[in-house]
Amino acid sequence: MVSNSEKYTEKKARRSLSEEKRHSIAGYLFVSPFFILFAIFGLFPMLFSFYLAFFKWNGLGEMTYNGINNFTIIFNDPIFWKSIYNTVIIGLLGTVPQLIVAFLLAYALNSQVLRFKNTFRVAIFMPYVTSIVAVAILFSIIFNNQSFGLVNSFLGIFGVEPIVFTQSEWGAKIAIAAMIFWRWVGYNTIIYLAGMQSISNDLYEAAKIDGATLTQQLRYITLPMLKPFVLFTVFMGTIGSLQIFTEPLIFFGGNLREEGITVVAYLYRDAFENNFFGTASAVAIVLFVIIMVFSVINLLVTNRLGRGKARKA
Amino acid sequence: MNKVLKAGLVAGGVMAILAGCSSDEGESGTAGSSGGDSGVIDMWVFGTTGYEKLAEAYMEENPDVEINIQTTEMGDHHNNLFTALSAGQGAPDIAMIEVGEIERYREAQDRFVNLYDLGAGDVQGNYLDWVWNVGGSADGEFQFGLPTDIGPTAMYYRTDVVSEAGYPTDPAELAAEVDTWDKYATFAKDIAEATGKPVVDNAELIFNAKRDQASEHYFNRDNELIVEENAEIREAYDYTVDLINADAVGNMPLWTPEWGQGMAEGSYATLLGPAWMQGVVKGNAPDATEWMITTMPEGAGNWGGSYLTISEESEQQEEAYAFIEWLVSPENQLESFKDMGLFPSTPETYAAEEFNNYSDEYFGGINTAAVFAEAAEQVNDVYKGRNYLLVQGEIMTALNNVLSSGGDPDQEWEDAMERIKQRLERE
Repeated sequence: MVSNSEKYTEKKARRSLSEEKRHSIAGYLFVSPFFILFAIFGLFPMLFSFYLAFFKWNGLGEMTYNGINNFTIIFNDPIFWKSIYNTVIIGLLGTVPQLIVAFLLAYALNSQVLRFKNTFRVAIFMPYVTSIVAVAILFSIIFNNQSFGLVNSFLGIFGVEPIVFTQSEWGAKIAIAAMIFWRWVGYNTIIYLAGMQSISNDLYEAAKIDGATLTQQLRYITLPMLKPFVLFTVFMGTIGSLQIFTEPLIFFGGNLREEGITVVAYLYRDAFENNFFGTASAVAIVLFVIIMVFSVINLLVTNRLGRGKARKA
Repeated sequence: MNKVLKAGLVAGGVMAILAGCSSDEGESGTAGSSGGDSGVIDMWVFGTTGYEKLAEAYMEENPDVEINIQTTEMGDHHNNLFTALSAGQGAPDIAMIEVGEIERYREAQDRFVNLYDLGAGDVQGNYLDWVWNVGGSADGEFQFGLPTDIGPTAMYYRTDVVSEAGYPTDPAELAAEVDTWDKYATFAKDIAEATGKPVVDNAELIFNAKRDQASEHYFNRDNELIVEENAEIREAYDYTVDLINADAVGNMPLWTPEWGQGMAEGSYATLLGPAWMQGVVKGNAPDATEWMITTMPEGAGNWGGSYLTISEESEQQEEAYAFIEWLVSPENQLESFKDMGLFPSTPETYAAEEFNNYSDEYFGGINTAAVFAEAAEQVNDVYKGRNYLLVQGEIMTALNNVLSSGGDPDQEWEDAMERIKQRLERE
């Protein structure tokens, strides 16, 4: 039973909603689907992962509080540190040459002399569209351990002994980095190309009149004007390479060996192969912190570069 | 009410319903969801079982029962089941669990029906003891599932490679000549000398063959790690290392293209595999006429097979049990064998006429079923424990390091033991 006075206040409250307020409520309701879905599939798993990092849990049995032991266990595991080292090395091997090549490709695609430009653009972007799993399977054939593998038979021409890629410290890393290179180089090329096309042609014309060579144009016009694009790709590349996962998983065919295990692969092995959800969550938190640190470094660098430019102007 | 506000509320409401869906799924009674009260028995299986056909027959005999079978790929199947059990809802009435995966579910005894309560004790005698025991709890008080097919192992061999080394090609004669692991080692050396080919495809299968004949593996029944003290496992490891050092072990990892190619070309002499490997061999080497099967030295192991379990949340446990008891009875296991080549776990079936008259043209017209039936009765009843695959993976890493990178066997073994202990701290 609702008393009369309560009804009255309720009515009054409803009436007191101004037109403006009602509009804003409607607005929130319209955007709510995203937030509801995010809360269920994004926020909840994240918070639960933080919670789990302090428990032992195998997914089916009882959860038992474990304090910071999960962190102690992973920090004492040499393979965990190896996985961080691998991630960084594979990330560097995969992204640094990739960005350089993407820049050169974009420059070539943007040049006046090249014909069939659109065909090349599509061709270069194609790898990005292919499925990672397909790429990984293809590359495990290219980097096959046997002497008839594509890379090994090529090396064989020069009398090099076949490399056991899945078990070699550098072989595994190079193979995985090659997949990342192949898949992402087109994506970055298109971004650089877009950047280059946004540079006004007047600048190049003025430079030509002043007698600047192609190299000088590249160095003093293209490169500085592309800075924001380069920063964006470096930023995306850093975060992307910290999350390398599918490539090593498929390349090693399930048996994640320490030569090529990455942080996310390490997490996956703990959580979904062995059902040690506690330590897996602890790894997730450590990875979260690492990504935060890298992002902050990236931001600081970006800001500094931005300020430098402003001062010059 | 303001129109804009109304539309917003509708949008919000739709989302709320969508969000709530996950919890309503159980009651909705749609195909493949949980065992609600709709009267339909949901069953999740993987692989090619041919159970749909048997279910049809069962439904004809029992018109009041409706069985709905859903087939998923093996990895996804077990993940879905694990998630459903972990969430506490959404599991089917009947779920198939592969023998290698069953350890994962041991902790969840409360989510399954103890089949002894439904009368499984009456049919226990139909099944091979070791198969039955693997599907039960360590103390034998709780039975998770009824056994379906099994995968007893035998020695597949290439007659061309074997005869080149001067060994008989007839299955019985070869089995008599290579009946111990010592003789197998000599056999390996002879093969290597005469043909330059390895005796096995990779380190994994030779290690597994020896391991499966041990009485205990990596954990004891109290789930304590015993692999380091277990002399039998160390012996299997050392035996594999010796063969590696004698250049008798190939480097063709399972399921890779070169492994399949090796099967077609006869790049190795023997394949120590289970009954269902017959299909794999035929698939990879359809034109090879050289493959034959005989018994393995000193016994056999088991690789593969499944259990049919009933979930605690099922509301038709008795009906579900009646169906699975019928489905994996000796008569119907014979049907599954004839239909899909599933090897029966019921010794009674081995005496059936069709089983005894069975012959396979691909394998030289011999009765392959009889070879595996003999193997099935030799398998040891071992307890595996839920971290079995973790230990196995680390030992394989050690052996592969010895094989491909020339690692020191003792050092690799110790490193593997270290890694195992480090990772088991997380349990």
